[in-house]
Amino acid sequence: MAFNSLTYLGFLLVVVMAYWLLPTGWRRSLVMAASVAFYSSWNVLFLWAPLMVAAVVFVCGKYIQANPSTSRKWLLTGIAILLALLVLFKYRVFVATNLSYFGIASKRGSFSPAASLVFPVGISFYTFEAIAYLMDVRQGRVRIPSFVDLCLFFFFWPNILSGPIVRARELMPQLRFEKIFEPRFVFEGCDRIVWGLVQKNVIANVLGIWVDRGFGGQPIATFSTVDGWFLAIAFGLQVYFDFAGYTNLAIGTARLIGIVLPENFRHPYHAASPADFWSRWHMTLSRWIRDYLFFPMNAKWEGAPLPLHLSLIGAMALVGLWHGAGWGFLLWGTMHGVYLAVYRMYESLRRGGLPAKGPGLLAGGLRVVTLVAVAAAWVPFRAPSLAQAGSILGAMFSRFTWRPEYSGLFYGVTVAVALFAAVEPLVMRALAEVDEEAAATGLSMFRIVVRPVAYLCGLTLFLLFDQNNSQFIYSQF
Amino acid sequence: MRPDLEAIRNAARAAASELTGKSIKDSQKLVSSGLIDSLAVLKLISLLERKLNIVIRPEMLQPEDFDDVALIVETIERVGKSVK
Repeated sequence: MAFNSLTYLGFLLVVVMAYWLLPTGWRRSLVMAASVAFYSSWNVLFLWAPLMVAAVVFVCGKYIQANPSTSRKWLLTGIAILLALLVLFKYRVFVATNLSYFGIASKRGSFSPAASLVFPVGISFYTFEAIAYLMDVRQGRVRIPSFVDLCLFFFFWPNILSGPIVRARELMPQLRFEKIFEPRFVFEGCDRIVWGLVQKNVIANVLGIWVDRGFGGQPIATFSTVDGWFLAIAFGLQVYFDFAGYTNLAIGTARLIGIVLPENFRHPYHAASPADFWSRWHMTLSRWIRDYLFFPMNAKWEGAPLPLHLSLIGAMALVGLWHGAGWGFLLWGTMHGVYLAVYRMYESLRRGGLPAKGPGLLAGGLRVVTLVAVAAAWVPFRAPSLAQAGSILGAMFSRFTWRPEYSGLFYGVTVAVALFAAVEPLVMRALAEVDEEAAATGLSMFRIVVRPVAYLCGLTLFLLFDQNNSQFIYSQF
Repeated sequence: MRPDLEAIRNAARAAASELTGKSIKDSQKLVSSGLIDSLAVLKLISLLERKLNIVIRPEMLQPEDFDDVALIVETIERVGKSVK
């Protein structure tokens, strides 16, 4: 049951109505039942996976909080079991992917629903939540609740598939479901859901048609410079609108029942530097890496330059592998690690190591370099093989030819979507201001007429663009 | 001897100001606002250790524990140990 399907929208309508109509005491059971049903709709055989993760956190967490002197041992035991589960499933995908390199199958680039049969959907996401949970227990930030509450945390359907990666301390207190209904829950939830459907089905899927064709069918070494750049930029935009669309659907779903999930995106292509990009892209993953991997690692080494740069590259390579056990993902992560390390060196030379915005031309140049570097890194992330990635990168940076191969529509749509991504913050800010004014004056024209009309337009677009290619890119991770 | 609350607060203000090159108000968010990043937090920790003559165990900490002056004081109260 994908978020961008009519089946899911029907399911959501029933669950949300029941949630607000039933007595408060029934809400936990309803959300648990809805979450299990939702996860089962992907693959009932893997229902044990989040259950096992919850059991590992429950048992190890109990031991961690019971005795501080053995807490480190139990923390490491818990993390080892959780990672073993993740590695087991990721290596199965890795083997399948490598078989595809030899021409036996070519599944990695197609994002087919068959991927959900290979490993439990969302395992990368809830494994990271589980590790964070154990570390937070050891640091005395949270306590282990009842096993049922823990299951509710890991099964919670709005974010089980692909995040946002939540911390126990931000979601657990909300899972008491004590809020009283407010109309704004509906407005805020529907805003996110409708916009998410448009981002995914209209923008991302349309770009995906050309991106799939470019990365899937074209023989290598035939890309011109202009096509290489357009393909990289088009995929960068596709993956952003796809994942941001998914995230809006997740946040909007939770909002309908009064739950607040953390944000995952803050206009990443407006980043002023590689470090700034990671404070805007997949923010809950960046936060996880910072708090549970990078900070403890560097705390040990007290931020010494060589270990710092190596740990940056290593941590980002792991981020790449987290997406999937493929060389392309590893290269993507490593490239970002190198960008961050080089940026750190540049910053420490320029400003004594502190992140700061540079003046005028320098800052503008850094923005352009960041965009170019991010676009280049998307190539190995998306390309079905390193050979094809090398060919496209070669066309982009060294083998200059200017022969466009695609229809004018592809270039036009890519430019239009890029321009929209450029003005998106302004549009969002303007809409938020209008909404605030509308909220201050009660049920204004905006809330009575404009919003429902916008919903209608959005849903019509969603239905018009409803296609078979409905799988979210990040749901395969 | 463990430093008193006022000494910790003054040291926190001074360390944050030294690190950012700006005068830091108590309510100012340091990490969540992007003013300092996780590595700058490590520098902040060593500055505080030096100023207060204490040892801070970073393995029990997260960057957000240093998000403002009040949190820094609370964190040092929780995990800071005097150097013997």
